[in-house]
Amino acid sequence: MTTPVAVQILPIAEFKPISSSRAWVSIPNPNGLPLIATATSDKTVRVYSLKNFTLHSTLEGGHSRSVRSVAWKPAVKHNGILCVATGSFDATMGIWRRREEIGELEEPEQIQAETTGDGYVIEMEITSAGQAKSHIRINNDDGDEDNEDNEDWEFAIVLEGHDSEVKNVAYSPSGQWLASCSRDKSIWIWEEIGDEGDDEFETIAVLQEHTADVKCVCWRKDDGNGEVLASASYDDTIRFWKGDDEGEWSSIATLEGHEGTVWSLDWEPEVSQKKFAPKKSPDDYRPQMPRLISSSADLSVRVWSIAPTPPPPNKPSYFNSGIPSTMRPGPTEETWTCTATLPKAHDLPIYSIGWSKKSGRVASTAGDGKVVLYEEQTKGRTAVGGEIEREWAIIGVLEGAHGPYEINHVSWCTRFDAGKREEGEEMLITTGDDGVVRAWSIDEIPIPEIEDEVSTGMNGISIS
Amino acid sequence: MTDVEMCKAETGIKDESSGKHGIRDLLVGKPSYALDPFYMSDFSDTDSDDSTVEPIDEQEIYDLIAPISDPEHPLSLESLGVVKLQDVHLTSPPDPTNPAALSRVLVELTPTVTHCSLATVIGLGVRVRLEQALPPSYRVEVKIKKDTHAQADEVNKQLADKERVAAALENANLMGILKKMMKPCLD
Repeated sequence: MTTPVAVQILPIAEFKPISSSRAWVSIPNPNGLPLIATATSDKTVRVYSLKNFTLHSTLEGGHSRSVRSVAWKPAVKHNGILCVATGSFDATMGIWRRREEIGELEEPEQIQAETTGDGYVIEMEITSAGQAKSHIRINNDDGDEDNEDNEDWEFAIVLEGHDSEVKNVAYSPSGQWLASCSRDKSIWIWEEIGDEGDDEFETIAVLQEHTADVKCVCWRKDDGNGEVLASASYDDTIRFWKGDDEGEWSSIATLEGHEGTVWSLDWEPEVSQKKFAPKKSPDDYRPQMPRLISSSADLSVRVWSIAPTPPPPNKPSYFNSGIPSTMRPGPTEETWTCTATLPKAHDLPIYSIGWSKKSGRVASTAGDGKVVLYEEQTKGRTAVGGEIEREWAIIGVLEGAHGPYEINHVSWCTRFDAGKREEGEEMLITTGDDGVVRAWSIDEIPIPEIEDEVSTGMNGISIS
Repeated sequence: MTDVEMCKAETGIKDESSGKHGIRDLLVGKPSYALDPFYMSDFSDTDSDDSTVEPIDEQEIYDLIAPISDPEHPLSLESLGVVKLQDVHLTSPPDPTNPAALSRVLVELTPTVTHCSLATVIGLGVRVRLEQALPPSYRVEVKIKKDTHAQADEVNKQLADKERVAAALENANLMGILKKMMKPCLD
């Protein structure tokens, strides 16, 4: 039976100071640092601290138009250098670096603070003697800790090549490649050659099969066969791209079904794959092909899965003579089909979706100002021992998360602030047309125990 | 004071009145259709100041865009018959006191010729004019009236794409044209 779950999306904080103009996306640092980067139409990127929701540093002076997207380079080794890529409406990309005292960001928590509401914070100071002293202070300052810039971001290199607005940039999880996509219908794959800091980039591929603007690029983790890039377009399709052994990149799948611009993509995290994996033993888990979710101007969020590949033809036929071709075989075409559509919750284009790596839940946000949370739940089995049937349910809706403004982006993010309830607690970050970036906690709503007999009459239950 | 400034001032007042309480109402107070039984907090309206704001009607929206001039001729969209009052549609939210409620505006344009190459620029002008003049809770959709233009679908899709519109507004050449078109609105 489906367990009814409901959550409330509650405000934690607003990042300060806010941008005076539209903010496009906010990307948490993937290397465990308590930082989040927000790209805004004022041509800058603001890096905020996730510890106290205040400005950490600003990337400015590199672009002449809106910064539309930003990506952190995954740290291969912690060398104390933060690296960020930006994509702008000025048709260029930027690579930025900043020397960071990692120790400062990761210093062991000597101060544990607890919010009591109304802006008062009780600080517990652990003294060297191991005793705890507490005092109360009014939390209306602008957070002067961790806020001193000892060095600025350096605009290391500009990457030129696109003919018009760069819409999205994304580093592959291994950090080897940087993908960019543009209004000019193309996707570029870049590789940093030489040592980090040499600032030499090579164009590995220019992919031009989309027939209109490419809105989003999203990498799939290497599953043993190399990293795969997914792209979403104004031409209503999604495409997958992969490099072969010789470094030639080509389209390996086209996903058709959306009836409007596809705005956002995300790959299924392992937690979700495991949740529905056939239960033999926990060690027996073998990763399957992750699914992909996509959101669109057609107001739908869709889930795509790979279709089982048909066995290769083993008999020669008129069309396939069986004579080996001297041409290098292209990467195998994959067939992907839409296997689920999430319950409809938005009535304006869905600009952003995120699939949580911790909970497996999906969050979406749209021009209608709503934030919606979905969960995939088990429905039961079609037959004894058969496959588990699942369905997506809406578990939480927040209207007007940015007042009357449109929300351009949502992302899942680990909490680092003093108010977190547990290590690794997750929150949602939304980014809006009002220039505001907000953090939200997810609170389960306690549901009264329901007896089996009445569970069929769920709709009639009211809470007094 | 121009219309744009006036509307900005109006919005400012609204923001102030909905200040802190507004946000709280909007976060915990609004029951949601999917989860009705689970929402426990009651919704109290503290936004009484809003009632003093005159509601915007179709005529007002029409008046905002009628004087926009054609990019090629010194003629207004009204005189060319490109915008018509009966093609301005306004859907107000059922509960106007809800600070998260959105109003929807649909304007259908009738291009002068079915191959009018400037349909996109005119549509962009109308969308931008309304987005700048109306409060942020108004969602503007500009479309080519059915069967009046050969590339209506393409034009509609472009005009509906927020990102393209945003990028267009950072294009100095295009902004120059738009400014010229808007000039009569600000006189």
